[in-house]
Order: sequence, then C-alpha cells, then structure tokens
Amino acid sequence: MSNQPKNQKHILIVNQSAPYSCNAKEALDLALAAATFEQRVSVLFVADGCYQLLAGQASAVIDQKSITKMLQAFPIYGIEELLVDSRSLKERNIENYEDGLNIREISTREVKALYQSANSVFRF
Amino acid sequence: MNFSILVLGAPFSSQSAYSAYRFTKAALESKHQIHRVFFYQDGIHNSSALATPPQDELDLYKAWQELKQTYSLDMISCIAAAARRGVINNAEAARHNKAHSNMAEQFELSGLGQLVEAVALSERLISFG
Repeated sequence: MSNQPKNQKHILIVNQSAPYSCNAKEALDLALAAATFEQRVSVLFVADGCYQLLAGQASAVIDQKSITKMLQAFPIYGIEELLVDSRSLKERNIENYEDGLNIREISTREVKALYQSANSVFRF
Repeated sequence: MNFSILVLGAPFSSQSAYSAYRFTKAALESKHQIHRVFFYQDGIHNSSALATPPQDELDLYKAWQELKQTYSLDMISCIAAAARRGVINNAEAARHNKAHSNMAEQFELSGLGQLVEAVALSERLISFG
C-alpha cells in the first residue's frame, strides 16, 4: 500500500490463552495500542485462545469484564477481522461464536504463512 | 543490529527475565544497539526497588539497574501492567493515593505505545516470555 506511514510493521498477536486470564486482556490491549499507532495488526486465536470467542460467556458471574465487548470494538481501531486456527476449533468442538465478531477461520497452512509474513510476533 | 527487548517474566518465576538480561548484556558488549527494554505483564516485577535476594545469589534487580547506568539503556515498564501489579513510582503513588512507591528510579513508566514504537523502529524485537 502506498499510503502506509513510514516504519509501519506487520504485527501478529497470537492469543493462545483461555479468556479471563490477565494474558488475554493484556494481549488485546497490545493489539489496540499497535492499531492506534497505525501498525498493520493481525490478531490470531489458537489453542485455548479460541475459547475467547466462544458463545454464551457470562463473565460477570466471575466478576470479570467481558472479553467479547473488547473484541467487538476492534473494527473501530481498524482491526477488521479476527483470525482463528480452524484445527484448534475442531479439536475443542467449538462451533458457535459470540455475536458481533467478524471471524475468519484459517487453515494451518495459512497460519504458517501469517507467521512468515509478520515482522513481529507476540504470543500471549 | 538494532534490537528491542520485551521482558514478560518476573524474576524467580521463570528464567525469562534472566535470559533477557543475559541477551541484552551480550548484545551491548558486542556493540549492538538496544533501542529499548520494555517490561510488560509479570516482567514489570523486575523494576521493584524493594526485592532483596540473598547476598550469595545473583541480584537481577540490581543487575538491570547497573546495565542501565553503564549503557544509558532505555528501560520502560508498562504503566497499566505495573499499576495493576503494584510496582509504581512516586508520581503514580500520588495519583492513586497510595502511601508508598517501590519502583527503582532507573525504570520509567509509560504506555504500550512505547512498545509499539520499539517494534516500528528496531530491526528485531526479541521477546522473553
């Protein structure tokens, strides 16, 4: 893209932790910060990180803020889609997502390509 | 090469922080540049001024502080991660009405933007989690 600001990097944030750990929250904070500073950000959910997207979460029951609400705000920051490793979903039998999330399932091959194209990878 | 370092682990919880220290020191001794060392998540515990390991063990806290003095390192702790975990400087203590502060003066508190900037301006970011 010709309108990329100077020094723009492709940052990949890999979420591999179940929701309501500090890991999940602080990973998403970094994704938003990177997007705010006009970096190209990809957000990928793998392994237990897929549970962050699972439908029917009642975070208030365990006195936590909703991860979903945070994820729903991502398009405002220019992060249009959330990528999910389809194999991780299948292994966990996850079929339904929370509403209002723009999710794209990708194959293991695409996950590898994503890792290769990113300048920096953060795993949480 | 121009590196930035991300430290995600607390001393004594994992080897992350010590490995980060060794890498940073080795890079500097080999005439590489370290743009910034950023402490996030449990990594912020490295900035405690109160930790006092036994005298016959390596004092990693002091080691970071000495590295900063020797090389004028830029060492930043994430302000949100640090406040949440309770390693704060005088200004933050005053802002949150806390009676005490406990962050070593060699560290600075700032936002995640400083980590993003480090990624944008460094050739490599090395994470120690």
